Amino acid sequence: MDYFMLVNLVSGFLILSALAVVLAPTPKASTYFYILQALLIVGLFIALGAATDSETLLKWSITSFVTKVVLVPAMFLFALKKLAAYKKPPAEGKTKPLLMIGLAAIEVLVCYVLVDGINLPMVAEVKLPLAISLAHFFIGLTCIITQRNIFKQVFGYCLMENGSHITLALLASTAPELVEIGVATDAIFAVLIMLAVASMIYKVNKTVDAHDLSELRG
Amino acid sequence: MDFSTLLIVLLGAPLVATLIMAILPSKYTSRSIYVFIHILAFLSVLVLGLYLAANVFLGNEIFALSNWLHIDALSAIFVALIAVIASATGLHAIGYIGGDAKAGKLDNAKVKLFYTLFSLFMFTMLLAVLSNNIVMTWISVEATTLSTVFLVGLYRDKLSLEAAWKYIIVCTVGVAFGLYSTVLVYSNAVNVLADPHEAAFWTSIIPHASQFDPQLMRIAFVFAVIGFGTKAGIFPMSTWLPDAHSEAPASVSALLSSVLLKCAVFVIIRYYSFVIPSTGDAFPQTILLVLGGLSIVVSAFTIYTQHDLKRKLAYHSVENIGIIVFCLGIGGSIGIMAALLHCVAHGFTKALLFCISGDLQHIYKTRDTAKITGILRIAPLTAVMFALGLFALSGLPPFAMFISETTMFFAGVDAGLIWLIVIVAIALTVVMAAIFQLAIKGIFNAPPEGTKKERPPITSLAAELALLAVVAGFIVALPGMGYNGFQSATYEALPDQALSEQSLAGQQSEQSLNGRQQTEQTLTNQQQDSALGKIFVLDNSNE
Repeated sequence: MDYFMLVNLVSGFLILSALAVVLAPTPKASTYFYILQALLIVGLFIALGAATDSETLLKWSITSFVTKVVLVPAMFLFALKKLAAYKKPPAEGKTKPLLMIGLAAIEVLVCYVLVDGINLPMVAEVKLPLAISLAHFFIGLTCIITQRNIFKQVFGYCLMENGSHITLALLASTAPELVEIGVATDAIFAVLIMLAVASMIYKVNKTVDAHDLSELRG
Repeated sequence: MDFSTLLIVLLGAPLVATLIMAILPSKYTSRSIYVFIHILAFLSVLVLGLYLAANVFLGNEIFALSNWLHIDALSAIFVALIAVIASATGLHAIGYIGGDAKAGKLDNAKVKLFYTLFSLFMFTMLLAVLSNNIVMTWISVEATTLSTVFLVGLYRDKLSLEAAWKYIIVCTVGVAFGLYSTVLVYSNAVNVLADPHEAAFWTSIIPHASQFDPQLMRIAFVFAVIGFGTKAGIFPMSTWLPDAHSEAPASVSALLSSVLLKCAVFVIIRYYSFVIPSTGDAFPQTILLVLGGLSIVVSAFTIYTQHDLKRKLAYHSVENIGIIVFCLGIGGSIGIMAALLHCVAHGFTKALLFCISGDLQHIYKTRDTAKITGILRIAPLTAVMFALGLFALSGLPPFAMFISETTMFFAGVDAGLIWLIVIVAIALTVVMAAIFQLAIKGIFNAPPEGTKKERPPITSLAAELALLAVVAGFIVALPGMGYNGFQSATYEALPDQALSEQSLAGQQSEQSLNGRQQTEQTLTNQQQDSALGKIFVLDNSNE
């Protein structure tokens, strides 16, 4: 079996899972789609490890499982349960699914054109997944810009971080484990602190709607 | 103790202080214990930071922890900046936070949180400029956000939490761009260098910069500028800055504006000098000229519309970061020198003004500039320092920013960017008018009824006087070791491509000099040939 084909296939599903995280009706539903996405990333690392004979990537799949499949969703579910914010979600804004899908398609296309201009031997076989990882990063950014629920904005950051992580795996599969652990651990702390601030805002301001956080202007 | 050990101690001192304060229970620990540990932390950073920076300026380059830590002349400038300003703002914080605690705005738990995070903030900033590992550099810049978000939201009221949210979401997203650029550079480095461990070190990849893929480095640079530029407060990524600076305690605002923004600029300078050998100088310099110019012009007009003193000062930060970025966009040795001088000059000036703004907020119980009037009658010493600080911020001689802004004009004219320099000059005139308006109304108009005469805490005044002395004495102190330090830092920040061009120009007369000596010599030659260089060298020779 051609493992690179599998890598391409999984990366395609990654875009779909990212869109599901963004378009899910509640932060809790986003969390479950995020678990699905994290499992796909673990699968991608295993497939890529098999394609490149990289033991490092197999180790990365384990740390990714711990951090992305277990820790990050657990933190989200804990924060949401504690605040019960998910029971009465604020207005999500009017993110039209077709518009979001269209934006994602444009992002993939633009990223492919950018990646196509890179002339490095390591890029030759992974141009499509590389373009998708870059597009994944921008889908995360789009999520932050379009979503009003601050918990879903945190998911946008997670998607951006996943995009960077996949790029690192695609381009530097020989990177020392310490590099990958550093990146993953930092993301965990970032999510933890963002969730803590979001929870404080809910307690004090009684809202998780970003539009209600607009008193400081000018 | 050797220099490597001292470097570890410099980094370790604030971290140990953080851990000790974190462990001590706020319920049973007196506020003075936290203050004592806080003083020990910033004093150790001050002494060790200045000592190591001075030794680097004298020619030593220090590595520690198997090359994970590194201090060269460029990072030494920023270490010295962190050391002095963190100490001054740390001293100011004692009176300021004490005042807030007395007024019931902060309980003991929040006082503990403040001092613990203040030390952690010092540690993360030092790590950002001392890290030789590109991934660690990114992690430490991200850690500066994570360690300060609760300082911005310290008062836990509606507005401070709003500011904290905007700060963390915008900066974390911004720094995610920084992560992407780090990943791209590292990925390319792994393919250029045989050892993947070496590929993460700045000192290993910089000598091979010209072998990197130009397209990949262009993408990496754009991501780095967006990412670290968000943290630096470059327009249009500066949306978090006025909110965070205005809602944070004044000592933290001072540290954010004076040092944190510069740490992000430091990373941009590293990327700038690293990518130019592969991409050429036109691409990165054009991006920086456009972003720098926009930051100056947009903030110049926004400053006028602000009525909140700290927001006004925050927009000045955007304007001055714009000047630094604009100088990098001009490029060349004089442009880079101007950028570095402005990093330091603006750092001291803005620290002074933010500390004073905190005192004024405590005295007048407001930040509204329409209500902060008659300072001369209410707090005469503060009024004099405020006036001098504002004059320094407007770039008047003999203050520190005069020399950096003048250097920028020389660099721009030298590079033939006359029209851009004219536009920047007009914008800076608008800024100067806004500053004079603030100074005249604030100092001389009648004070609001019922405002009592009040003297800020002695620690606050001492910190402000020390900062004022640096701002006013900068030009006098610059020749000698200070100038050598800036010259060496400029050399470190100068891209290899430019260095090799200069080396070629100087080869005929300098055949006997080797490598670094040669480039340093040609750098000096170039500065001697320019009008500004003549001023600098003259000053130096007078010493």
